[in-house]
Amino acid sequence: MFEQQLFNGLTLGLIYALIAVGYTMVYGVIELINFAHGEVYMLGAFLCITFIQALGVPLFPAMVLAMACCAGIGVLIDQIAYKPLRKAPRLAALITAIGVSIFLQNIAMIIWGSRPVPFTRSAVPAAFSETAFTLGSVNVSGLQVFIYALTIAMMIGLTLIINKTRIGTAMRALAQNATAAALMGINVNRVISFTFALGSGLGAVAGILVGMYYNTLSATMGYNAGVKAFAAAVLGGIGSVPGAMLGGVVLGVAETLGAGYVSSQYRDGLGYAVMIAVILLRPSGLLGKSVGQKA
Amino acid sequence: MMFKRALVMACAMAAVLAMGSLALAADVIKIAVPSPFTGSAAGYGDNVKAGVVMKVEEVNAKGGVNGKKIEAVYFDEQCDPKEAATVGTKIAGDKDLVAIVGHLCSGAHLAALPNYVRVGVAALSPTATNVTISDKGKDAKGQPWSFRNVYLDDFQGTFLADYMLKELNLKKVAVFYENNDYGIGLKDAFVKQAKANGLQVVGEEAYMKGATDFTPQLTKLKGAAPEALFIAGYYAEGALIADQAKKLGINVPKFGADGLDNADYIKLAGPAADDTYLTTPFLAETAGPDAKAFIDAYKAKFKRDVDWMSANAYDAAGMIIEAISKVGPDRAKIREYLAAINTKEKAFKGITGLTYFNDKGDCVKPAYVKMVKGGQFVPAPKQMSN
Repeated sequence: MFEQQLFNGLTLGLIYALIAVGYTMVYGVIELINFAHGEVYMLGAFLCITFIQALGVPLFPAMVLAMACCAGIGVLIDQIAYKPLRKAPRLAALITAIGVSIFLQNIAMIIWGSRPVPFTRSAVPAAFSETAFTLGSVNVSGLQVFIYALTIAMMIGLTLIINKTRIGTAMRALAQNATAAALMGINVNRVISFTFALGSGLGAVAGILVGMYYNTLSATMGYNAGVKAFAAAVLGGIGSVPGAMLGGVVLGVAETLGAGYVSSQYRDGLGYAVMIAVILLRPSGLLGKSVGQKA
Repeated sequence: MMFKRALVMACAMAAVLAMGSLALAADVIKIAVPSPFTGSAAGYGDNVKAGVVMKVEEVNAKGGVNGKKIEAVYFDEQCDPKEAATVGTKIAGDKDLVAIVGHLCSGAHLAALPNYVRVGVAALSPTATNVTISDKGKDAKGQPWSFRNVYLDDFQGTFLADYMLKELNLKKVAVFYENNDYGIGLKDAFVKQAKANGLQVVGEEAYMKGATDFTPQLTKLKGAAPEALFIAGYYAEGALIADQAKKLGINVPKFGADGLDNADYIKLAGPAADDTYLTTPFLAETAGPDAKAFIDAYKAKFKRDVDWMSANAYDAAGMIIEAISKVGPDRAKIREYLAAINTKEKAFKGITGLTYFNDKGDCVKPAYVKMVKGGQFVPAPKQMSN
């Protein structure tokens, strides 16, 4: 039973991680907690089933399309809501982010309704719902294999982009010192747009995976996931991409084991308790840079 | 100068607008419908609204009440007690609102109720089934201001515990409950009766509204090998519990109360919904001819099957409107009229059967059992007389 709980916790944690990197990357470059990120995740899931149902696109192309759309939406949110506030006090941008989140949630309710809807069952390969293999006492479904493979591949890809490409280097430069980066000839706005696109695309994938895994989509699904992923990002050290990945996994496992062994009533509470404990011991998070480095 | 002229114009326009709204107020009778229309319970609010809309349109199409149109004013309280208290203050303070259909959630109803009792406006909830409401709806003189045309949780919980053992001979049950007034009340009544009946309860797991992952609890419960799952909550989470239980290989009958009773439960849970038994205040198959007409009209208008919340809301709005037509748009008189419906003979005949109140504003209504079979709600083969 413990192995099964641990495995399920990991599945959940990987999805949190995928959302958390979106938070942490945006924070890294513009020091903004993008509270609208949870809504982009929700839009990803809804756009995916809309492509499947309205246009008859098969699942995988629909995922790619939804990802691309969300990347665009992420850039658009930045351009419309955050860019005009780049020089404004940080609080203004934060409040704007919350406003964007509420706006998108209500737009989604107008378009797709306030009732939870199922993921298009017929579009999901039959192999996903079957047991792929059994490892000791652990039952692994095809969908879980897919979630593991996809999230891990995406995180490897992301790490490569950040560490090995020119734009990734520019992102890191911006995170270290925006003024200096601009002086070095880095096109700051383009890098910020790229960061939003990348984070939003990953968020969309997380939304689609969650939609498939739990077979339920709702306009309010982004709120909870957003808060959890934000906690994961903080737990891992906000601004640190590997930290967000680790934070997501830790939070997912803590929650699942807490619900399984302590009390299901306090599952969210236990997840946050772990986060608070980590922050108390390491104020900058598990893999965060020590506080005070940034002037 | 320009500014002064604009100011005069604005004042004149404001005056015209104010007169307009006065004239309007005389032509319509307003009733308040506080329910969740945004947030995670918005889907239920939608159902209640649909029922009210059906009744109000029907009445207005026939010319309204004594020549005046009925207007339902919707207030969004998000099923949140804090919001409901604010909305309740607003409704109580607006004398144009003569009566209330709501609230939807027991927790919200409880939070808003003190306002209604203090100011004196009757609230008829079509859906709040929590037990504690019974004692909170009375004013200093002992008159109830809170009514409901739905049975209570203790009745549903007790009924299901009896049904499980007596009709289906199940002996070991695991319980999931939503951590709110509704879920806890239902669970407590069920567990009490189950224990009295000798039904073994192998686990009680709480969850929060909006929870999506139940695998930790289910993985734990699987070891106890329950013969049934009792879900004291609403359909969105209930569907996830059923679906995840099936994925983990727990293939046992599921039981639930009114909260699971929604066509979306089947849509969301898919094949895992099969073998779910529920109590329901409204069974289309056993309903009378009036109900049949309502069911058809509802489907034509909203393109979905009618649910019990819509049916109860339709009747609740019907009772309020009947009261208005008999005693006029007067808050105190409407309450008196409702309170006087206290015997079977004086009962209101609606599509959900007879409704009449006891001295606490509660009612006794029959419970039916329906089940999911092949992706459809069908009446359960075994009905228990009550």
